[in-house]
Amino acid sequence: MAATMVSSAGALLAMLNESHPQLKQHALYNLNKFVDQFWPEISTSVPLIESLYEDEEFDRHQRQLAALVVSKVFCYLGDLNDSLSYALGAGSLLMSLRILIMFILFLMCLNFDHLRSVVDIFKFAGASLVCLTFLFLFLTSAKAIDEYASLKAKATESNAEAANVDPRLEAIVERMLDKCIMDGKHQQAMGIAIECRRLDKLEEAITRSDNVHGTLSYCINVSHAFVSRREYRCEVLHLLVNVYQKLPYPDYLSICQCLMFLDEPEGVASILEKLLRSENKDDVLLAFQIAFDLVENEHQAFLLNVRDRLSVPKSQSSEMVQPKSSDPDPAQNNSSTASEDVQMTEGTSASIAIVQETDPNDAIYAERLTKIKGILSGETSIQLTLQFLYSHNKSDLLILKTIKQSVEMRNSVCHSATIYANAIMHAGTTVDTFLRENLDWLSRATNWAKFSATAGLGVIHRGHLQQGRSLMRPYLPQGGSGGGGSPYSEGGALYALGLIHANHGKGIKQFLRDSLRSTNVERFIYDSAVAGEAAGISMGLLMVGSASEKASEMLTYAHETQHEKIIRGLALGIALTVYGREEEADTLIEQMTRDQDPILRYGGMYALALAYRGTANNKAIRQLLHFAVSDVSDDVRRTAVLALGFVLYSEPEQTPRIVSLLSESYNPHVRYGAALAVGISCAGTGLSEAISLLEPLTSDVVDFVRQGALIAMAMVMVQMNEAGDSRVGTFRRQLEKIILDKHEDTMSKMGAILASGILDAGGRNVTIRLLSKTKHDKVTAVVGLAVFSQFWYWYPLIYFISLSFSPTAFIGLNYDLKVPKFEFLSNAKPSLFEYPKPTTVPTTTSAVKLPTAVLSTSAKAKARAKKEAEQKANAEKAAGAESSSAATNTGKEKSSSEKDADSMQVDSQPEKKAGPEPSFEILTNPARVVPAQEKFIKFMEDSRYAPVKFVPSGFVLLRDLQPTEPEVLSLTDAPSSTVSPAGDSATGQQGSASAMAVDEEPQPPQPFEYTS
Amino acid sequence: MDPKLAEVSQLFERFKAACAREDVDTCCNVLSKLKVLLTGFSSLPPLFEDTPNAIHELTLARDIYEHAVLLSVKIGDQDAFERDFFQLKPYYTDASSRLPPSSQEYMILGLNLLRLLVQNRIAEFHTELELLSSTALENPCIKHAVELEQSFMEGAYNRVLSAKQTVPCKTYDYFMDLLAKTVRDEIAGCSEKAYGYLSVSDARQMLLFSSDNELLQYIKEEQPEWEIKTGQVIFQKAKESASCKEIPSLQLINQTLSYARELERIV
Repeated sequence: MAATMVSSAGALLAMLNESHPQLKQHALYNLNKFVDQFWPEISTSVPLIESLYEDEEFDRHQRQLAALVVSKVFCYLGDLNDSLSYALGAGSLLMSLRILIMFILFLMCLNFDHLRSVVDIFKFAGASLVCLTFLFLFLTSAKAIDEYASLKAKATESNAEAANVDPRLEAIVERMLDKCIMDGKHQQAMGIAIECRRLDKLEEAITRSDNVHGTLSYCINVSHAFVSRREYRCEVLHLLVNVYQKLPYPDYLSICQCLMFLDEPEGVASILEKLLRSENKDDVLLAFQIAFDLVENEHQAFLLNVRDRLSVPKSQSSEMVQPKSSDPDPAQNNSSTASEDVQMTEGTSASIAIVQETDPNDAIYAERLTKIKGILSGETSIQLTLQFLYSHNKSDLLILKTIKQSVEMRNSVCHSATIYANAIMHAGTTVDTFLRENLDWLSRATNWAKFSATAGLGVIHRGHLQQGRSLMRPYLPQGGSGGGGSPYSEGGALYALGLIHANHGKGIKQFLRDSLRSTNVERFIYDSAVAGEAAGISMGLLMVGSASEKASEMLTYAHETQHEKIIRGLALGIALTVYGREEEADTLIEQMTRDQDPILRYGGMYALALAYRGTANNKAIRQLLHFAVSDVSDDVRRTAVLALGFVLYSEPEQTPRIVSLLSESYNPHVRYGAALAVGISCAGTGLSEAISLLEPLTSDVVDFVRQGALIAMAMVMVQMNEAGDSRVGTFRRQLEKIILDKHEDTMSKMGAILASGILDAGGRNVTIRLLSKTKHDKVTAVVGLAVFSQFWYWYPLIYFISLSFSPTAFIGLNYDLKVPKFEFLSNAKPSLFEYPKPTTVPTTTSAVKLPTAVLSTSAKAKARAKKEAEQKANAEKAAGAESSSAATNTGKEKSSSEKDADSMQVDSQPEKKAGPEPSFEILTNPARVVPAQEKFIKFMEDSRYAPVKFVPSGFVLLRDLQPTEPEVLSLTDAPSSTVSPAGDSATGQQGSASAMAVDEEPQPPQPFEYTS
Repeated sequence: MDPKLAEVSQLFERFKAACAREDVDTCCNVLSKLKVLLTGFSSLPPLFEDTPNAIHELTLARDIYEHAVLLSVKIGDQDAFERDFFQLKPYYTDASSRLPPSSQEYMILGLNLLRLLVQNRIAEFHTELELLSSTALENPCIKHAVELEQSFMEGAYNRVLSAKQTVPCKTYDYFMDLLAKTVRDEIAGCSEKAYGYLSVSDARQMLLFSSDNELLQYIKEEQPEWEIKTGQVIFQKAKESASCKEIPSLQLINQTLSYARELERIV
C-alpha cells in the first residue's frame, strides 16, 4: 500500500497554537521535517514561530528549533540575510545538514565568480543531486560561509587580525569543515577551506583523504582556477608543496609544476638532482619528463635558473669556465662554422670532463646532467619538434600557387600577404620550396616587402638552431662592408634570426647585439621612428614578466617623445613587462589607462590583458568592457575588446558569450576587436559557438572587420577538417572565393590569404595553444600572439604568430632521448582527425593542360580494361557452359555452383565500396595527435614501452620494458643539413619531392574495370 | 493491546463521561492530556507510519479530535474549534483511503463551513468547498451551509435568519446565532456605504433590531464612529479611495529592454 502523505501543514500550524508546550514542541519538530514541502504554508505563520523563538520560557533546544524553521522558510523566500541571522540562532542544530553538496549552488546564486566550481562540484556530487530538496539548508550555511569568507578575506588583505569575525560564524564554518572531512567529502571541504582561507583545515582535509594524490591534484586545479588573488594562491601552493613532500611517494611532476608557479628554481633543481643521482633508471626518466614539462611552459628565466642551480660534478666546474670565456670570440668573427651554438661547446666540454672523471657514478650523473641541461635549454625539444614537423609536413603547395596566381603583381599588400601565408604554412618545417621556386616573383618585393620576405625565412626555419645563422648569412649585413643587400633585407634577416632563436637565443644574442651596433647607423637613417618602436617592443620582450622599474622609466620616456610609433612601441613594451603579475600591475595599469594619450591607454589595455592573461579575472573583464564601450579612441576600444581574448583564453567557452553583443556593435573597430578576441581565446579549439559568432562577421560590410574575422576564424579552425565540423569546408571555399574574386577589397583579400596560411600552419601539424597541458600559460605563445595582434600597425609583426604555434604531436622518447618505434591506439575513426585532403581543383591555366594528359593515358587504360573484361566474360561464359552441362548430371552440384556464384558476388561488393571505415587507428611514434583527438588516445598494454606519464600528446618519456633487446628508432632523419644557403637557384633537396608532385603531369587515374 | 493505546482509550472513556456530565473543566484537562499522548503515535499525521496498530490508532485519534471539535462548539471557543478542526482534517483528507468514513465527518465539515461564514472568511469558505467531493456537496449538512452562503451573498439576509429553523443538527445552533450578528455587521457595512444618514427607525428596521434600544446598544458597542443626532444615524462615509489607473507595465518593460539593447549596440 502506498504510504499516506500529508497534504498540508495546517494541522501542525494549528498545533503550534495549542497551549500545552509539549504539543508545540511536537509541532515544531514536525514542521522542521516538512518545511521543504510546506514552506509556502508555513511562511504565513512565521511571526508565530518567531515568537516561539523569542519566548524566554521556552526550552533552549526548542527555541533553536524554531529558529531553524524560520531560517529555512526565509531561505526559501529568498531573504538570505534574515535567514542567516536565524540560522545563527539555530546554533548547533545546523550541524545535521546535507549542505555540502549544495554549498556551491548558493554561490551560484550569489556570486558569479564561482560558477565553475559549482559545475565541478555538481559533477562530483552526481547522485547526490536528489538532495536538491535540501537546498535551503545549504543556502543558509553557504551564506554563513560566504560572509565568513569575505570577512576573513578582508582581514587578511588589510593584514588585520580576524578578531571581528562573529564567533558564531566561525563555529558554524568550522563545524561544517569538520563534518565534510568526517564524511569523506574532501573536495567540498577543500573548497570551503580555500574560500575561507583556513589553510590549516585545508591541510587536514588533504592529509585525511584516502586518495591524497588525487585530492592534491584537484586542489591544484582549484587553486589555479578559482583563487583569484595571486598572493593567496602562492600561499595555497606552498602548502601543497609541503604536503607533497611529506608523502612517502611524492608526485614530483606536480611538485615541480607548483614550484614553477611559485618561481622557486632551487626546489626544482634539488628534486631533479635527486632523481638524476638515483640508481633507478625510471627516476631518471621521470627527471627528463619533468624537464620537458617545464620546458613546455616556456618560462625561460626560470628554466635558466634551474639549469644553473643543478650542481656540477666535482672537478668539472673548473673546466666549465674555460669555454665560456671564449664566448665573445665566435660572435665577433661570424664567418665560419666555428660559430656553433654556445650550448654545443658546453656540451662537448662536459663530455671531455667525463672522460677525465674517474668515479663511475659521477660520470653517469654527468652524462645525465648533460642531457637534462639540453632539455632544459629547450634544444632537445626544439630539435625533435623540428624533425617531427619536417617529416610530417603536409602543407599544400597548390593553395599557395592558387593564391600567387590570383594576386595581382602590383598589389604589394597581397604580395606580401602571400609571403606571410607561405611562411606561416611552413613555419618550423624548414621547407622553403615555394620561395625557392618563385625567386623571380619574390624579387619583385621592394623595401619592406623585402624585409618581410627575408624575415619569412626565419619563420620557416624556426628552431633550426644550428643552421640558422648560416642559412641567413647571405642576407645578413656583411661585417663592415655595408655593400651587401639592401638595408631592408638585412633588417629582415636579423628579424628572422630573432624568430629562429626565439626564447632560446643564448648564443645568438651577442651576435645580434653586435650587428645591431654596426647597422643601426643605417637603420636610423631610414626610419628612426621604426627603430624606436622596435626598441620599445624588444625592451618589453626582454623583460617579459619582470615588472622591473624600467617600466616607469619607459613610461616617462613615452611621455617625452613626440613620435607616436615610439610611444606605441614603448606602450607595448611596458605592457609586456607586467606579464602575469596580476594585482601587482594594478598601479601601472591604472596609470596607463588614465593617461591622456590614447596610445598609452591602448598600451594599458595590453597591460591589462597580459597581466591578467588567462585568469578570467572578473575585475579585469569589467574594466576592459568598460573601456570597450566608453573610450573616445577607436584604437583603445578595439584593443580593449581584443584584450578580452587574452584574459579569457583559459575559458574559451566564455568568450563568445561575453563578446556576442560587442560583435553587433555599430563601431567596426569594436567588431574587429570582438572577432580577434574570439580568435585568440578560442584558438585551436574549433569551438562551435565561436564559429557561429565569427561566421556573420566574415561577410561584414567593413573590409577590415572581414579581415579580422577571417583571420580569427582560421585561428579557431586550425587543424580541423570537414569531418569535425562541416563549416570548415565552407570556410575554405569562402577563402578561395575571396582570394579569386577580382573585386574584393585588398584588406579582406589579405585577411583571406593570411587565413589560409594560418589554417594550414606549420605543415598542418601545429595548432595555436596558449596553455600548456598542465594548464599553465605558455609565456612565449601569449607574448607572440600579443605582438601578432599589433600587425594592424606593422605587417611584419604577423610573424610573431609563429611563436604561439605548438606542434600537435605525440613524441615518445627513450632513455637516450631518441625516438623509438612505438605504437599506440587512437580510438576514433581516422577520418575525424586526418589531414584535410589536398586541394585538387586545378587553376584555370592548368585546366587546359589537364584533359589532354588524362585522355591519352586513360584511353589506353580503358582499352586495356575493356579487353580484359571481355576476356574474363568469355572465360566465364565458357565456365558457365561447362557447369551447365555438368549440372544436368546432378542437381546438387548445380546448387553448389550457384552458391559459389552468390558468394562471389558478395565478395566482390565490398571491394567496390572500399570497406567500412575502421573505428580506430594505430599511430606510430612520433605521431600527429590533434587536440580534439587526445581523449581517444590509448596506450596498448602489451607494448614494449610504457609511458612515464599518461598524457596523450607532447613529449613523453617511455620506459623500456625489454631493455636487452635492440631498439628500433624512427625519425632519425634530421632535416638535411646540407642545404647550401647561398644556392639561390638550386632547389632545396628536401622539398623537391613535394614540389615535384605539384608540377608533374597529373597521375593517370587508377585502373578500373568496366562491368557491362 | 498496546499499553499506550489502552491508556489513551481509557482516558478517552473518561473524557466522554465528563462530556456526558457536561463537566467542561474536566473535559478540557483530559483532552489536553489526550492530545499530548497522541503525539507519541508515529502512525498519526504528519508521519503516517505504517505501524501494526495504525488503523486502530488513527480511528481513535480521529474520534478524539471529533469530540474535541464538538466540545469547542459547546463551550463556544472558536479558536479551539479552528485548532482542533485543522488537526482533525488530515484524518478526513489524507487518511481517508485507510479508514472507514466517520459518521460525523459531514457534520463537522459543515460546522467548519458555517464557522468560516460566521467569521466572514468567504475566500476560505470557498477554498474548503472546492476541496469537497460532489457527493459531499449533496449531504444536507454541507448543503445547508452552501445555501446559507448563497443567501448571504445575494443579500437575502432575512432568508439567512429564517434558516435557523431548518438546521440539520443542533450543534449548528451556536453558529447560527453568531451568524445573525455577522449578517448584521454586513448590513451595517453596506448601509455605511450606501447612505449618508438614516433615521433611527429606518436603521432599526434595516439592521433587523426589534427595539431602538438594541440599536443604540449595538451602535455603542460595534460602530463607535457612527453619530446619532436628532433622530438620525449619521455614517462617516468611507474616504473615497483614490482612483488608480492601470499601469501598462508590460509595454513599458518591453520598451525599456529594447532601449537598453539598442544602447548597448550603439556604444
